Amino acid sequence: MAAVSYRPYFSAGLKEWLFTTDHKKIGIMYGITSLIFFLIAGLSALAIRLELYQPGLQYMSEDAYNQALTVHGVLMQFWWAVAIWGSFGNYLLPLMIGARDVAFPRLNALSYWLFFAASVLALLTFLPGNHIRMMWTGYPPFSLNENAGPVAFYALIIHMLGASSLASAINLVVTNLTMRAPGITLRKMNLFLHAFLAMNVIQILGVPALAGAVTMLLMDKYFHTAFFDPTRGGDPLLYQNLFWFYSHPVVYVMILPAFGLISEMIATFSRREIFGRTSMIFAIWGIAILGFMVWIHHMFTSGVPDWIRILFSYTTVLIGVPTGIKIFNWVFTLYKGSVRFTTPMLYTLSAIFMFLIGGLTGIPLGLPAFDIAVHDSHFVVAHFHYVLGMALTLAVFGGFHYWYPKITGRMYSELWGKIGLVIIMIGSNLFYFLQFIVGLEGMPRRYADYPPIPEWVRLHELQTIGAFILAFGVFIALANLILSTKLGPKAEDNPWQSPSLEWLIPSPPPPHNFDKIPHMPEDWDPYNYEWLEKQHKKA
Amino acid sequence: MKEVLAYPANYWQTMYEIWLFVAVVIYLVVFIPAAIFLWKYRYRKGVNEKAQHVHESKALEVLWTIIPTIVVIYLATHSFAFYRVQRNAPEKAMEIKVTAFMWGWEFEYPNGKKVFSFFNSVVNPETNTYLKPEEVNDMFKAYLPAETPVKVLLTSRDVIHSFYVHPAKVMEDAVPGRITHMWFQINKPGEYWVFCREYCGTQHSKMAAVLKVVPKEEFEKWLNQGMQTSEVLNKGNL
Repeated sequence: MAAVSYRPYFSAGLKEWLFTTDHKKIGIMYGITSLIFFLIAGLSALAIRLELYQPGLQYMSEDAYNQALTVHGVLMQFWWAVAIWGSFGNYLLPLMIGARDVAFPRLNALSYWLFFAASVLALLTFLPGNHIRMMWTGYPPFSLNENAGPVAFYALIIHMLGASSLASAINLVVTNLTMRAPGITLRKMNLFLHAFLAMNVIQILGVPALAGAVTMLLMDKYFHTAFFDPTRGGDPLLYQNLFWFYSHPVVYVMILPAFGLISEMIATFSRREIFGRTSMIFAIWGIAILGFMVWIHHMFTSGVPDWIRILFSYTTVLIGVPTGIKIFNWVFTLYKGSVRFTTPMLYTLSAIFMFLIGGLTGIPLGLPAFDIAVHDSHFVVAHFHYVLGMALTLAVFGGFHYWYPKITGRMYSELWGKIGLVIIMIGSNLFYFLQFIVGLEGMPRRYADYPPIPEWVRLHELQTIGAFILAFGVFIALANLILSTKLGPKAEDNPWQSPSLEWLIPSPPPPHNFDKIPHMPEDWDPYNYEWLEKQHKKA
Repeated sequence: MKEVLAYPANYWQTMYEIWLFVAVVIYLVVFIPAAIFLWKYRYRKGVNEKAQHVHESKALEVLWTIIPTIVVIYLATHSFAFYRVQRNAPEKAMEIKVTAFMWGWEFEYPNGKKVFSFFNSVVNPETNTYLKPEEVNDMFKAYLPAETPVKVLLTSRDVIHSFYVHPAKVMEDAVPGRITHMWFQINKPGEYWVFCREYCGTQHSKMAAVLKVVPKEEFEKWLNQGMQTSEVLNKGNL
């Protein structure tokens, strides 16, 4: 195969990029869009941290702060934590199942361009007069108030994103279920794909609830219906129920594929199959199903009846069980392995241990007796930054390094990769760990200003320093990845020696992935590292 | 017995300590084996080049399914028991009505006396920075008797706010069109913060109030002193 000469897919001209239906190009476009918005959201986070460095308002007005917080929340969740899976999923799914493209390539392009249109709209909210200041939750009746900004804009953005996610989810589920090459059974499918499948199923079930909620919000504000407006007989808690029915499961949309990446990388670098692979798959689906039964914990203090708070506290803490199973399985994957400490492996291990902190601090948030003191405090903020800001982002950055040679055909610098990770870990732990403490001391979230309680001030100062160290680490990591596309040495086709199907074809993959649809032999498995060695011996 | 600053914060404190203990133990149960495996099974040329094959261990997997299930159900049940006390006010509690608005609080006492606290009453008007609780003008402070349980009936006039009593470690949302409730008791006289914990717009971060907790006799005297704040309001002297 190597003898055939072709132009690598990424050296295509502008026109080809704009009109492409190639899943690899679409995946890369998702990735780049997602990264750009990650950086915008990151910069708004730095602005927030700078403002919180000292009590009082030094750098921005309350309105500017509230806008920065809304931007940070919306972009980090929808453009980074969700859309980045559009990138990994699109790129990897057909390669891992031995398909030439997804089931509906044009629909796939439409998904991306809808997402792109939503991105443009999101940027337009920076224009004066378009500022949205209602946080990503957009709770009515506040969002019906002029102070919140143009809700129509928000609703349109959510609908475009929703249409994009639904189209993409259906497309990728169909691809996954119907286009696997002969020999790739569900049992032999990569764990990332199991997680990705569950993620897309959650999207299909959940997105309509959010779409309904924002539509009602839009109608309440502009057409004078009364779904949520209590002055005309509506109930604001209805919005919260609809909103969290999607927006709690969406955290599993974000984290399940990250678990998938962790499984891929920890198996490859321990050189052995994931421990308890069957239970891993059950845990993924367990999380996906339980994830729809816990949303009330976001409303523990909202005035819902007490009995429902107790009921949902049990379902919430039970999510800890399948999550725990995954963590124990990862740890025992190291047992009797042959562990290689490459940059992606270090990212993976960091992601697991940061997730553990995020998970363990999530348990008490499911206990109303604990939650009533920290609900809407910085404790909650720290919890989901350990889970999403760290575990997810570390897994994604690990994934960037792991598939870097596959996508670009070059190798990044291991040294700079590791330096970047160390700086990220120092900065983010300094930042988010102290956020737990200030939260336990009562600091409310979404505060532009806070009273000059001496401990709070000290904790905020250190957090801001941590945030800037974290930003510097991200800069080093990304600079390494970007510069290595030019300066990095040429990578081998399979530098990690993984038998997973995407590594068995040249790097970067040929335009149509597989000249012939592969027939995977009986003894092949994406985690059977001995099979690969046997193939090498045969050759 | 240890003196408790406020109820039901003591229950929260116990819940916190139980959870922290469980969390640290679980962290170590995961971290220590992981650290040992990472060291022992690290790749070395000629020594540990290949992984050995261990697919799964049913016994281990059952173990780490059942034990965490028991632990989380225990935690939730403990929380359930505590929450009943944290939620339900003692029968002899004094009832006050708190109405939230953009951006401030209205406290109404059983005899009809009202106190208003506004976002700009807790800040220094020149610098727009928070005052210390002691520096806030007394007429904006909600007086409360020490060592007396207080039941709060909450609602809101416009958007959703949340009433968080800092020393008592308890909060509940103030929802327009609904009446929600919570209770607390502060034992030590002093001045304490109340914060709005649900995002409500521009002045959300200044939507605080000061609770002035005084001995019972002093509170009775204050309560019967007439409507301080409304008199000032009539004079337009804000």
